[in-house]
Amino acid sequence: MALKVAIIGCGKIADGHIEEIQKIPALARIVAVADLEILMAEQAAVRYGIPNHYDDIDRMLAVEKPDVVHITTPPQSHLALAMKAMDAGAHVYVEKPLTLNYPDSKRLVDHAVAAGKKLTIGYSYLFDPPAMKMREMVTEGLLGEPIHIDSFYGYNLSGAFGAALLGDGAHWVHRLPGKLFHNNIDHLLYKITEFLVDDSTPENPLGSLKITATGSVRREGRFGDVRDEMLDELRVMISGGKTSVFGMFSSHIKPAGHYARVYGTRNTLFVDYVMRTVTLDAQSKLPSAFGRLVPAFDQGLQYLRAGGENLVRFARNDFHYFSGLNRLFSMYYASIIDDGPPPISYRDILRISAIMDEIFRQVPQNGRLAS
Amino acid sequence: MKVLITGATGFLGGALLERLLVHGERDIRCFVRAGSKRARIDELAKKYPQATIELFNGTLGSPAGAAKALEGVDIVYHLAAALSGTAADMFLNTVVTSKNLLEAVVASGRPIKVVLVSSFGVYGVASLPRNHLLTETTPLEEHPERRDIYSQAKRRQERLFWDYHEKHRFPLVVLRPGVIYGPFGGAYSSRVGIDLMGLFLHLGRDNMLPLSYVENCAEAIVVAGQSEQANGQAYNVHDDDLPTCKQYLDLYKKNVKKIRSISVPYVALQAISTVVQRYNVFSKGQLPAIFTPYKTATSWKGNRFDNAKLKGIGWKQIVPTSDGLQRTFTWLRENPKK
Repeated sequence: MALKVAIIGCGKIADGHIEEIQKIPALARIVAVADLEILMAEQAAVRYGIPNHYDDIDRMLAVEKPDVVHITTPPQSHLALAMKAMDAGAHVYVEKPLTLNYPDSKRLVDHAVAAGKKLTIGYSYLFDPPAMKMREMVTEGLLGEPIHIDSFYGYNLSGAFGAALLGDGAHWVHRLPGKLFHNNIDHLLYKITEFLVDDSTPENPLGSLKITATGSVRREGRFGDVRDEMLDELRVMISGGKTSVFGMFSSHIKPAGHYARVYGTRNTLFVDYVMRTVTLDAQSKLPSAFGRLVPAFDQGLQYLRAGGENLVRFARNDFHYFSGLNRLFSMYYASIIDDGPPPISYRDILRISAIMDEIFRQVPQNGRLAS
Repeated sequence: MKVLITGATGFLGGALLERLLVHGERDIRCFVRAGSKRARIDELAKKYPQATIELFNGTLGSPAGAAKALEGVDIVYHLAAALSGTAADMFLNTVVTSKNLLEAVVASGRPIKVVLVSSFGVYGVASLPRNHLLTETTPLEEHPERRDIYSQAKRRQERLFWDYHEKHRFPLVVLRPGVIYGPFGGAYSSRVGIDLMGLFLHLGRDNMLPLSYVENCAEAIVVAGQSEQANGQAYNVHDDDLPTCKQYLDLYKKNVKKIRSISVPYVALQAISTVVQRYNVFSKGQLPAIFTPYKTATSWKGNRFDNAKLKGIGWKQIVPTSDGLQRTFTWLRENPKK
């Protein structure tokens, strides 16, 4: 019996959720969508053939009694809506960021545990094919001990979402403590936590991690309002145990790539989340000039192989933009049906929330207009 | 008479402001968003120093924001709409903003006249025979979900205006322009064809192209706005002496620049659309269904057009089509797309 799913919040990302859920009908079916603005709920229902739509969340929960609720609203409402959905008996999937800060995230996780409901979050790239492949390679021991990770997340401010938030000074992103970073750097951070020592405790959620962050803005101010304050580049250094991380978020680097390079004692792995490739910077064992000639061909061959694998996926209709999201949904629903652990550990979710708090503490967003 | 224009900094908004000034309006509030280009408004303000042209910075994101913009206003020309973005953005910035405006009109308690600039896209022409004459009585789209997002949003927007009009009886007139063109506008409508990675697919061929030169379109909006007779009515807006899509493309190539194009017959396009749609379904959306038989029938089956109703309220084409094309092509030649 497929799970009954309801979506709260019919903005941009809701479309991605609906499309991916509709691809796994054996696991789940969408019974309703809801939004405070009934016209937004209606448009999603009409476009995707969803039977019911609501502007009253309480009524939707009472009438539809969904097994799972996906919360795709602005982050300011995540905590209240997630708790409300759990209290109505639903398991809850929350889009990132989980809440506005660590204390709220902790409250939500505790609430889920107490209610016996499963909670997960949209760390979708963790489940994209290249991330899964990288994890296999790490498990096989190809990396050795992790020493350092470069994590880069490029953001195109002239894309649809960037245009929306720059076009509207009242956009909810401008009211987040970490503004643009707050809505995006989960993608930067969740890829590194698996390599960092975890000695966190509820009282000290960062454990022994040391964090240094700097933020800046490269755009010319042209609005004279809150939009000009929004920082658009972030550099973060994190160290924990013998492993370090350099994380970079930029709205200006071209191309707006998305990748991680993981340096290990045996090899270095390069994961490109846009091209969906994983390559190994293998050390050449050849002597003299051959040792410098051959690695470029080796890299070329690795890309050729990875491209071929992607082509095969494409031919099998398995090369979708939201592959990771789809896999995450499937794993999450399976965890509900089988009563297994959810796909992302609560420890990781909380640790990332705490790291974000520390970054936003070090990088205040109200610089430009104030100065 | 105090006038409000939403979308005043847009391609059509600037032309509308000028036509309103030409028609003697002297108290005009231009709704502008922070960061938008205002050169055209500033230029017209200099040209008409006797007129009060107010730049109003605000948002239609809430009924309260819309109410502020409507303070003291007797007539609103609602042009603002999203032209691109995700589906949610398009609905938010076209439909929800319209609802906020309408709520504010109703809340004002005054009979503010509303002039909505809608679109040809609201008609449901897919099932009509080729070269069917499109008039204001042609049925509106019944399957918006099968259309592109812009048309879906515009269809919903227009329905919203008629629903509010039915319920609250404020004066409403709806204009449905065809392809608005002119200097500062685009090179060609998708009705002519689309650019596919450097190759222009000429899809419109011998179909009539419902051009509306931007000044003529603005003139129609003003005429409808100032006409009592127009209240409660919808009007198609396009010029006389319409070229076919092929004639337009030939003139474009001759006057602006040479482009590589391939002419695709309608029957072949329908076959391609069927394949594209089936692949989209089969692959679960791995590639977007940019062509579907329904969208293709809507955009490229071809219609004939009629502007008699618009002429009935006194609209006259002020720029002949030949001049409009010449001015547009000159501008496009001198301002190549970077």
